[in-house]
Amino acid sequence: MRKSLFPVFALLVVVSMVLVACGGGAAPAPTTAPAAPAFRVGLVTDVGKIDDKSFNQTAWEGVQQAQKELGVTEIKYIETTDSKDYGKNIAQFGDAGYDVIVTVGFNLTEDTWTAAKKYPKVKFIGVDQFLSKDDKHAEWPLANLVGVVFDEDKAGYLAGALAASVSKSGTIGSVLGTDAVPPVWRYGEGYRAGAKSINPNINVLVTYHNDVGFDKTFTDPEWGKTTGLSMIDKGADVLFGAGGKTGNGALLAAAEKGVYCIGVDTDQYYTVPEAQKAMISSAMKLETPSVFAMIKSAKDGTWKGGLYTGPTGLAPFHDLDSKVPADVKAKLQTIDKGLKDGSVKTNVPPVKPQ
Amino acid sequence: MPEPSPTLSRRILGAARSALNALAVPALAVFTALVVGAIIMKVVGGDPLLAYLGLWQGAFGSVKALSETCVWASPYIFAGLAVALAFKGGLFNIGAEGQLQVGAVTAAWIGYALPDVLHTSLPAVIHLPLAILGGSLAGAIWGGIPGWLKARTGAHEVINTIMMNYIAVLMAGYLLNGPMRNPDPLNLSARTPSIALSARVPRIFANPDLRVHWGVVLALVIAVAIWWLLYKTTIGFEIRTVGTNPDAAKYAGISVTRAIVLSMALSGLLAGLAGTIEVVGLNYRHELGFSTGYGFDAITVALLGKTNPFGVVLAAFLLGAMRNGATRMQFLTQVPTDIVSVIQALILLFVAADAIVRFIFRLRAPKEKMVLTRGWS
Amino acid sequence: MSWPRFGFIILTVGAIIGAAVVIGQAQLPWLLIITTMIRTTLQVATPLTLGALSGVWCERAGVVNIAIEGMMLLAAFFGFIAAIYTNQAITGGVLTPTGSAISLAVGVTAAVLTGGLAGLFHAFLSVTQRVNQIISGTVINILAIGLTGYLNRQLFFQGQVPHAPGVLPTLHIPVLADIPTVGKIFEQQPIAISAILLVVITHFVLFYTPWGLRTRAVGEHPRAVDTVGINVYKMRYANVIIGGLIAGLAGAYFTIESVPSFEPLMTNGRGFISLAAMIFGGWSPFGAWAASLVFGSAQALQINAQGFGLPVPSQFVGMLPYILTMLALTGIVGKTLPPVADGVPYEKTGD
Repeated sequence: MRKSLFPVFALLVVVSMVLVACGGGAAPAPTTAPAAPAFRVGLVTDVGKIDDKSFNQTAWEGVQQAQKELGVTEIKYIETTDSKDYGKNIAQFGDAGYDVIVTVGFNLTEDTWTAAKKYPKVKFIGVDQFLSKDDKHAEWPLANLVGVVFDEDKAGYLAGALAASVSKSGTIGSVLGTDAVPPVWRYGEGYRAGAKSINPNINVLVTYHNDVGFDKTFTDPEWGKTTGLSMIDKGADVLFGAGGKTGNGALLAAAEKGVYCIGVDTDQYYTVPEAQKAMISSAMKLETPSVFAMIKSAKDGTWKGGLYTGPTGLAPFHDLDSKVPADVKAKLQTIDKGLKDGSVKTNVPPVKPQ
Repeated sequence: MPEPSPTLSRRILGAARSALNALAVPALAVFTALVVGAIIMKVVGGDPLLAYLGLWQGAFGSVKALSETCVWASPYIFAGLAVALAFKGGLFNIGAEGQLQVGAVTAAWIGYALPDVLHTSLPAVIHLPLAILGGSLAGAIWGGIPGWLKARTGAHEVINTIMMNYIAVLMAGYLLNGPMRNPDPLNLSARTPSIALSARVPRIFANPDLRVHWGVVLALVIAVAIWWLLYKTTIGFEIRTVGTNPDAAKYAGISVTRAIVLSMALSGLLAGLAGTIEVVGLNYRHELGFSTGYGFDAITVALLGKTNPFGVVLAAFLLGAMRNGATRMQFLTQVPTDIVSVIQALILLFVAADAIVRFIFRLRAPKEKMVLTRGWS
Repeated sequence: MSWPRFGFIILTVGAIIGAAVVIGQAQLPWLLIITTMIRTTLQVATPLTLGALSGVWCERAGVVNIAIEGMMLLAAFFGFIAAIYTNQAITGGVLTPTGSAISLAVGVTAAVLTGGLAGLFHAFLSVTQRVNQIISGTVINILAIGLTGYLNRQLFFQGQVPHAPGVLPTLHIPVLADIPTVGKIFEQQPIAISAILLVVITHFVLFYTPWGLRTRAVGEHPRAVDTVGINVYKMRYANVIIGGLIAGLAGAYFTIESVPSFEPLMTNGRGFISLAAMIFGGWSPFGAWAASLVFGSAQALQINAQGFGLPVPSQFVGMLPYILTMLALTGIVGKTLPPVADGVPYEKTGD
């Protein structure tokens, strides 16, 4: 036994020594162009993946755009796998002296606040993170922290108004992620309110994917499609898909059965091409341009801490432009103006009440 | 001529050698898995050496890293012990995930709601143990139910514990977004209010950067306790006998039903502790978004540690180190953290099918096979 | 598998659909509700039926297979990859009818073969290496999750994602599909229809052919079979591989029939529910199918419940399939017995 084990363990010892030698050395230095000063942006996701085609990914695309157009030298992301790691993940970038850190999702609000106070030289962009002055946040606004928020309910309201206007059956549907995520809930309730404002008798089917855990609720296109199909069975002729890839399933169901669909977050005409022929519009919250704008302001010196409300609105009608009557288009424009100047209210609270 | 009694140095050498033998397969399984993982990374276009460097740095490269590794290891020790204990009883507890959830939910509730319910603040000597007890009990019940079902109806615990996992996660989803949700208007997340100071496990160091808490010490103590339970008590003997040979146990007068229920309940208790310790020692609250991987990680830890409590502790630290180091690895190389899951699966493969490792490294097979669990009957 | 038991199981399905009617009839005509429920049930029961059949093939031969979940996942992923890269190669990434048809066929084939390979691996571990079968099944599950998650990221993020060639078309069964309202039940996709056909085929092969007889013998009395000269190892290998192929078809359902994309963990426990269906159905093909319908209808109820305005929190409705599974396993409808040698590695004496 001793004879056959020895070479093996010798090998193990050698390998470990090599590892220790490497680990004991300095961390590899980041490559920076000698001429231009380094400007580095890091992103920390919520529990979830960077390619979720939703919150995390659109924010990352803003960072990528900044690298392409603003000469940001280095961009990196860290995916959080467990909510206890938020602080640790942010610290990876903070300790490495990054210039801008983007944290995605309201779950990171508290950890981003703490980190902003700990690393005053680093600028923090908190997507979907609403803060205001109160007992726990007396120092708000912090000079190096900006919360990027959106009025998803307004976008949903427009989508609902559009759906109710073009529906012939009097039944419209929406397939969403979980109502435990306030932006998603606001989309859904905004949709309902907008539809009722056009036609108080309209039948609005709203279904949240609450029956699975957080890890699945936005990445379940199969459920989204099955639910969408069952809504179509019940007579829905417009489907609003608002829940990452789960919502995308509903868009596919609509395309398959020949009814209308409305996308979410970005202009999904481009992200779900299979549904183009059925997609009448998308309820957008422009996360990518907002993140890009914030990074730009950090780089060119126009940065201001506090709260930034990003733009929301309806995407163009694309292929179905001719199917939307002129008076509907005009009505939507009026509603949009009203939402912007406050004369039209969605009456959707920020969070689902208990 | 009688043999001279072994000298002390011979005895130490003998003990060291048997320890090395015991460690051989697990250590080589880890090593082989890392090598295969590196090959996979290389083939798909990554930088394995830089990745492993990041893994190492993130896990052991600084005091803070070591602290975080201990933080990650604590729940793994408990969960690994849970699965290992069940194995000793001839049962496969895949329900660590669900038992952990109910433990966390219960401990959180005791931590933040009990003082209000009783209209009094509770001193730490009462509050903290109560929270720990409550979480453990919840886990014990959650594990005991499949155990009881198996003992009485023969329903296999593999499927039932998996079903209870889903039920637990859904239940937690309802509670954390509903009755147990933090009512603070600024709180948008599905999480409980923070638990009272009197229900928190103190940290070991004053430095706020070092999150390691006394829970890891508790985990080590419990590991010793479980070893003692299994090998020095009647209950442990009954559990292990039913695990290796239920027929013999019956003839020996051991109640097989009682042993099965007890094994699963104790197993659930330990898994419940895993969730509890995260709430009272680290996060001071419970929220959705708990990583859903503890269940399978616990299986890997239990098997890598050969279902021996001390092996489990070592394996828990190893896996915790890998999970902790994955962050730094992703920071350096942008390699997806899933590679850690692949490596973990490979470790499990090489440990379970140890013939592969034995073949590669020319090791002799052990005299007796480890009996883990049986088929449906 | 007794016919009274079969009847009881079908009654349960009826009860669930009835519940849907009761809940929803304020808003919709009852016939529409029943039609929707049955159509959805048949659709979502597809992977469950196939998974349960896979289990039947393996376990009748005496090999426990809890890796159905992992096999489905692997098949879903690699079938998907095959489909999109075939489409890329044929059409350069554009959607065309012939290109899609070929790519999807290739995808299904790849998925089925992946399942077969996974079955081969499981057979190797269980039959040759005699690893504990539940452990080896768990290993495959964990490996599947890690591998597909990692490869999915490496291949699809940060790069140009090749266009997915759509999904399998919905077939209209002639005559039956034309019946107003109820006809919608007879609009199903190919894999869903194949699942039902495979139930019949499995039943026939298992109980009316020499192969089936040998298989069942190997699962009940391997030593007796061995003395008669039948190779126990070969029979087990063959049946586990067949089981793997069927699990592969189940995997194809997810990415080729349902939605044209792969998500990590998209099988979401359905492999384990199909195991429960197999046990509930008494290890028989028709029983497994009936049990799958029960779980499928519970899922259909959950999908439709919110739309009907059920005042129960949706998380609780979501628990229904899992609670049903546990109830089924308690043998409340009578205990069923697995094949006698199920789960016991076979060792030729004198080895």
